[in-house]
Amino acid sequence: MALKERPKPYLLPEYCKGCGRCLDACAKDCIHLSDQINPLTGLVPVELDLTNCNACGLCMDACPEPYGLRPAHEGEIQDFELEDPAKLFGVKPSDAPEPVDMPSEVLPLPRTEPLVIKGTYASALGALLAGCRHVYGYPITPSTEGAELMAKFLPKLDGTFIQAVSEVATVNMMYGTAGAGLPTMTFTSSPGFSLMLEGVSYMIGAELPGVFVNVMRGGPGLGNIAPEQADIKLACHGLGHGNTRALVLAPATPQEMLDLTMLAFELSFKYRNPVILLGDGYLGQMTGKVQLPDTMIKPGIPKWAVYGDAMHRKNVITSIFLTESDLEAHNVHLNAKYEAMQVEARAESFLCEDAEVVLIACNTPARTAKGAVQELRHQGVKAGLFRPITLWPFPVEELKAAIHGAQRLVVVEASAGQLEDEIRLALSKAGVHQFPEIESVRRMGGVLPQQSEIMTRVLGRKEVLA
Amino acid sequence: MSKASVFYDKFERHSHGEGLKGHATHYCPGCGHGLAHKYLAEAIDELGIQDRTVAVSPVGCSVFLYYYFDVGNTQAAHGRAPVVALGHKFANPESIVVSYQGDGDLASIGLAETVATAQLGAPITVIFINNAIYGMTGGQMAPTTLMGQTSSTSPAGRNEYNGQPLKMAELIAGLDGPIYVERVALYDAKQRIKAKKAIHKAMKLQVEGRGYSFIEVLAECPTHLKMNPEDTEKWVKECMEPVYPLGVKKDLTVDPWFKRNTPCFKGEKILSLAGATSEHPERFCKGFPTHLAPNDISLKLAGSGGDGAQTAAMLIARAAISEGFDATHIPSYGPESRGGTSYADVHVAEDEVLNPGSPDPQVLIAFNAPSLAKFGPTVRKGGFVIYDSSVVTEAPALDPSIKMFPVPFTGIATDLGKAVVKNIVALGALQAATNIFPKDTLLGAIRTALKDKCALIPLNEEAFAWGIKSVEALDK
Repeated sequence: MALKERPKPYLLPEYCKGCGRCLDACAKDCIHLSDQINPLTGLVPVELDLTNCNACGLCMDACPEPYGLRPAHEGEIQDFELEDPAKLFGVKPSDAPEPVDMPSEVLPLPRTEPLVIKGTYASALGALLAGCRHVYGYPITPSTEGAELMAKFLPKLDGTFIQAVSEVATVNMMYGTAGAGLPTMTFTSSPGFSLMLEGVSYMIGAELPGVFVNVMRGGPGLGNIAPEQADIKLACHGLGHGNTRALVLAPATPQEMLDLTMLAFELSFKYRNPVILLGDGYLGQMTGKVQLPDTMIKPGIPKWAVYGDAMHRKNVITSIFLTESDLEAHNVHLNAKYEAMQVEARAESFLCEDAEVVLIACNTPARTAKGAVQELRHQGVKAGLFRPITLWPFPVEELKAAIHGAQRLVVVEASAGQLEDEIRLALSKAGVHQFPEIESVRRMGGVLPQQSEIMTRVLGRKEVLA
Repeated sequence: MSKASVFYDKFERHSHGEGLKGHATHYCPGCGHGLAHKYLAEAIDELGIQDRTVAVSPVGCSVFLYYYFDVGNTQAAHGRAPVVALGHKFANPESIVVSYQGDGDLASIGLAETVATAQLGAPITVIFINNAIYGMTGGQMAPTTLMGQTSSTSPAGRNEYNGQPLKMAELIAGLDGPIYVERVALYDAKQRIKAKKAIHKAMKLQVEGRGYSFIEVLAECPTHLKMNPEDTEKWVKECMEPVYPLGVKKDLTVDPWFKRNTPCFKGEKILSLAGATSEHPERFCKGFPTHLAPNDISLKLAGSGGDGAQTAAMLIARAAISEGFDATHIPSYGPESRGGTSYADVHVAEDEVLNPGSPDPQVLIAFNAPSLAKFGPTVRKGGFVIYDSSVVTEAPALDPSIKMFPVPFTGIATDLGKAVVKNIVALGALQAATNIFPKDTLLGAIRTALKDKCALIPLNEEAFAWGIKSVEALDK
């Protein structure tokens, strides 16, 4: 067997921490601890005497530092200058290429007759048409049908559905796939959403896109599986630790479950941030007419992704910024992004132009309220409905226009005033301090406000719920 | 070769690469991480997978893995690295994903993710650094801390009230998912060679698409064990190794299996899965059934699970939408999977259903006596109640303006030989009692729903016809 010539070790004392692992790795006793502290590091490095060295290499295998004991190549040993790393190690820290965006494509979709499907299915189809092929989830009523449909369809589209061990695992699988630059989503419901919030904070911190469909159910705790709207504060103000924000969309029909899911993917990539779709239990289960769009998306790969190929090798996905000034700068950047998201505020105003009584509601209660508006108009009451479609950012400009001539505001919601809090906060931040007293129709615990209760509140001013 | 080229030429991410930090790790003298990094870097180099590698850094001392490795890097939340790794692997099956974790991360906070990912068995590589102590947070008890070993949270030494040290390699090897599990150490040249080989093999198995590998590395933490590096090596050998025996715990020969096609983005395929069609359904209605309501009809179907109330409700909604109207259907169930209550609220509106709930329906279809008793009194004046007279012997007295239609849904269906078609009998009765739509509208919805089970169409048509006949017989 021909012996290959092996390099002997060399060492820059500055890169030796003096751990001494190499000392007994050397059978020839070539390495000794110095008797001097290195002034640059404050540590005591080893010293080499290579007289007896047979270049076995074991000392180099024993050295934990990448730039510690290294093979000495010709001419390399003596002539270095610590002050000039470019000369020593080359000018570039890495030869990884500069990544570029691979844009997504908009593909035409043949026109079809409307489908008659439930809200969670509509949302799942919306996700597929938005180009999502990676769905992770943990079963939880009343959102599970979305995951079930994905489990059925995705294998046929060579996509991935994995039932995770928990919601915690779910959101972190999303973190991985989103980190690779691909669209990903989950279906969950209130208790499950609570469990995902750690990961949501990490995704916001690491600027990763992802869509969370939260079909809200009754709480707190295990609560029940009937509809509630009591996660509004969580989605708008409680997305885990840190200065976190995400766009929050509130659909009101199965059609919007599809449309807003598609929008959620678009916005989530536009802003590199999670988007929350807040439905309610009725909306998830409700079957209705759903028209498919004329186009669908084939996703590309954004330049910031860690896809696991040459193009994206230089990228890193992280939310850690150890130096305070770095983390503050990151927070300033994130908050500038949240500010930029304000343009995404969306709302629907129904018969508000001349309305004296403006009902304010979102999700299924907005449909009930719309029915009430129509009935009130029949009875000669000038009623209108303001429906925020984004809950964060709250469409305050649209709200100001809608309540311009109102004498009464009635917030209809299935929570203990979480929507009302959003309205008050938005008006206050917009400097609007003069507005009619806010009245409310509130139900909780899985009960939705009924049209009759809205009528009673508007016409009779009786307490509907003490 | 000692400095693998997968280490950055300069550690720009380490304090912006300033001073010595540009070329030195942040690890303490004698720490085991540096060696594990080095062997991983060498394996990546030797296998030629630098461009394909995604390294997932955990929370713990090795949170800054991405300072050093010139590969795709992702930093994960505490304990979540293996599932983040899965997210990467499934996003790009060609990528080579390493989940590099410490003992607190892998064996404590992330135990569920660790075990579930191992059991899933998808080809990723997990490098587990076990140094029997929490490093980054400053010397607290780890799940792998030895009995009697002191730490800042077991100051008197770990005792039975702190539980026993967790033997992860054995635990993981006991699962069916992994193909290769080995525990190695770093305390002498012989162990280091084994460690290097094990990490190389674990990476190679992933490159070949064979499965999940797990390498546990017994590593030194001189700082928090409060020893010098040399004594720490000795401690690992003499104290740790007896508790955590070295060696191969599992090594299966598995053919490469992990092969995933590129996802499909063909619109036609999605449309076909969704059952969407461009065929216009035939329309039979001349206009909205205003004889029932000016623009919004409210129905309730109520029975127990298995009665087919939800299917019937769905068919009414589909029939309405095929006629160009709007419709909604909201199911509600009791907690039982079978045999519990099953109610459906249906609305049919000319333009838009505004209020999808049916607290006071115009039409009630009741499949049993409790449902009739519960919802009968909520039916609006002048409304319709259609109920299964095979099971309801005595109907409650309702407002005299309400039209009652006792129809033996179950009896007819049983006579036809299939009890499950009783909901179709009910739909026939609905049609005849209310004339909500022309017969062909509901029949069309039934036929469409059964287009993949054509053999059942005649039976259902017959059930529908019997429902109509029964109502007509009542009028005579």
